[in-house]
Amino acid sequence: MQQQDIHKFLVTYFEANHCEILKNHNTYLTVQLTIEMDKELMNRPFYWHYLEKTGGIPNPSQLTFITDSQNAPEHIKGEHIYFGSPRLHQIIESTKKLASYIRLYEDKQTNGQQVSLFPWLNLNVKISYQCDRKKDIFQSVGLNLITGEIVNEFYNHIFSIKLTPKIPDYSFTLSPLIMPKSGLTRLDRYIRQNFEQDDHTWAEQAVQRWNNDLRLLEHFYNESEEKSESYYTEKEALKAQYEPKIHISIVNGGLFYLSDYKTS
Amino acid sequence: MKIEITSDLEWSDNFLTKINEDGPWANWELYKLAIEVTKDLVISDFEGLQAPKYLPYLKPLPHQLEVARQVVEEMNGKAILADEVGLGKTIEAGLILKEYMIRGLVKKVLILVPASLVTQWAFELNTKFHIPAVTQRKSYVWDSCDVVVSSIDTAKRKPHSEIILNQDYDFVIIDEAHKLKNNKTKNYEFVQNLKKKFCLLLTATPIQNKVEEIFHLVSLLKPGHLGNAKLFAEKYKGKGRTIQEDQHLKELVNTVMIRNRRADTKIEWTKRQVETIIIDFSKTEQALYDAVSQFKVHSDGVGHSSFSTLTLQREACSSREAVYYTLKNMKAKYENPPVAFTAMIDNVLQKVNETEQNSKAEKALELIKKIDDKVIIFTEYRATQLYLQWYLQQNGISSVPFRGGFKRGKKDWMRELFQKQTQVLIATEAGGEGINLQFCNHLINFDLPWNPMRLEQRIGRIHRLGQEKDVMIYNFATRNTVEEHILKLLYEKIHLFEKVIGELDDILTKLDIHNIEEYLIDVVGESKSEGEMKIKMDNLSSLIQFAQQMKDGDVHAAAGHS
Repeated sequence: MQQQDIHKFLVTYFEANHCEILKNHNTYLTVQLTIEMDKELMNRPFYWHYLEKTGGIPNPSQLTFITDSQNAPEHIKGEHIYFGSPRLHQIIESTKKLASYIRLYEDKQTNGQQVSLFPWLNLNVKISYQCDRKKDIFQSVGLNLITGEIVNEFYNHIFSIKLTPKIPDYSFTLSPLIMPKSGLTRLDRYIRQNFEQDDHTWAEQAVQRWNNDLRLLEHFYNESEEKSESYYTEKEALKAQYEPKIHISIVNGGLFYLSDYKTS
Repeated sequence: MKIEITSDLEWSDNFLTKINEDGPWANWELYKLAIEVTKDLVISDFEGLQAPKYLPYLKPLPHQLEVARQVVEEMNGKAILADEVGLGKTIEAGLILKEYMIRGLVKKVLILVPASLVTQWAFELNTKFHIPAVTQRKSYVWDSCDVVVSSIDTAKRKPHSEIILNQDYDFVIIDEAHKLKNNKTKNYEFVQNLKKKFCLLLTATPIQNKVEEIFHLVSLLKPGHLGNAKLFAEKYKGKGRTIQEDQHLKELVNTVMIRNRRADTKIEWTKRQVETIIIDFSKTEQALYDAVSQFKVHSDGVGHSSFSTLTLQREACSSREAVYYTLKNMKAKYENPPVAFTAMIDNVLQKVNETEQNSKAEKALELIKKIDDKVIIFTEYRATQLYLQWYLQQNGISSVPFRGGFKRGKKDWMRELFQKQTQVLIATEAGGEGINLQFCNHLINFDLPWNPMRLEQRIGRIHRLGQEKDVMIYNFATRNTVEEHILKLLYEKIHLFEKVIGELDDILTKLDIHNIEEYLIDVVGESKSEGEMKIKMDNLSSLIQFAQQMKDGDVHAAAGHS
């Protein structure tokens, strides 16, 4: 993330959360938080609890973020935001938390004609390969809940069309033949199949390292008839360190009602 | 091969609930933002360091980055970091910890450090690495906080120890880990029983004395790496071997240990200037020294002991207070001391009373005034420390004491006082480790320890990364005393003070002198004449010089191959 990206990210985040941007200079940014966003970001539960008990006038914070420390005017006081700064990562986490589940309808120009919308189930996932090291893969998939068709890089499509949270006039939704619950199962299976063909030497190598350390451990304790507690602790620790695992974590997902989206 | 795969079931359940309850649904802009930022932050390689990108203000040195990479990629996150003093082991450890935290491999962290460094570690992790480390102050911290810094002495005590041993730590860091070289200690046992998925042991002096010590240290990190205790003992004990001599052992150790030397780092260090100041006793001081030199009595009251004579002689070179304190303790051991013993002690005590001045203290005062800047004075004796503080105070110079026994808060406070308010810090040996004072560049060795490694540690407190000025070291020694012998006959001959830090460690290990302090006491104490002592000292210093040449020879040979 470059500094300009960070600036843009912050503006989008606060606007989407209905916070007024009081100043939007290209080196810094001042935001008036709403009550909800103050509770989300400022970590002062006692203040809000007290206020609600006493019926005082809420005074949500104003924040200034300096996104270009080198060029920002000197008199500006605020938090320096850069990649790695705790505040930025707090806001990134908050973004993910606040945007977990969605339902949207395609807003198509219809000229008064009726448009039927197909239900799609979208999942955006992070697949983590983990042993004593770790790497992630991002995957975005969509499942047509009528035809059962599955599409990769689904986000590319939805990013390019106009969507609205309310069903538009003249549009109607087709009922899914696949229920969301089994849709989730299908997508989970699809994602798993996808990486089953992957090269998993990483996991084999991790098991090798694990076995190697286990062998040393056995050797170290082989004189004592009864294994001491530290032996078992260490064995557990080796498992935690090396055991290869794959975890699919869902970033977000939801239902999209789309007109005639075809991949082929 | 079969790999365990897990999915996010909680998300699915919540999603189905939302469908049933018709929302609430997220905002489209935020949804897009979450996807974009996730794509941006995905770490698509097992290899490579992420931490530097997250720490744009840190500016780690090349050797520190290399250490971090090596530990993560080649050592599977378990290593002994053994850089020489002052190369920034804390930075290395912070980088490694940060890397694992960014990648989501580490959440729960325990950091055990000397009490005097607890606050500093927590502060550095927070400010330099944005790692929310907390210092342990209440026992609930163990459960409720993810990254905790504590002293090992606190952690091993009940009720803390029980809580800690029940935690699943992803990452354990232990600073000054050479203190864990003895596997019979409570501290060792405690650390052995910790669950350590990833682990760093930090020490500047990994191989001070015996081969077994490195065995215990490595076994803590990776049990079995050097075999088990029995086999190891059979193979290496009693053969007078050292780590350096055994190529195989050396290679094994090097797969779990990284040691950078100052010379390898290409960092420009400030210079070290050493000045020896020889001080003459006053008449009464000389009388005291002569009296203790005649004091050939074992501390149990009978027999001959060069040890107690030497102790008293060394103390007499420091202050009469130090002598007094030791005599008092000797006497207090008995309910009915033997008459001859009491007479001998009383004789010396009388000389203590007659001593009118402390010539070294006078010299120190003069020097401090001349320096007119921050000065650290090191002494071996607490009694001297107290005396010096009083003496400087009488002469209008403010000072703070520093001792190993101080509680953490007090150590921090003393350091702070020294940095902000007082001109002088007076430290005893125990205070030598675990405090960083690089804002000061003058050091007075009021008396000399008989272990050159300890001298190195003293100097290492100020001659480290972050020191911007040349470091000035003033060695005090009293003329015609044991102190002068050690200084002139050994330390100066082997150019101890000009050596770069860490070199000596190597040399002593090469020589296989298990305990140089005992050896020196033997040489100085047991020699029948000054001539004999000189010869022995000469032998020792040529041995050290020889080892040094061998070492340089090694370097040349190695360079020749590449």
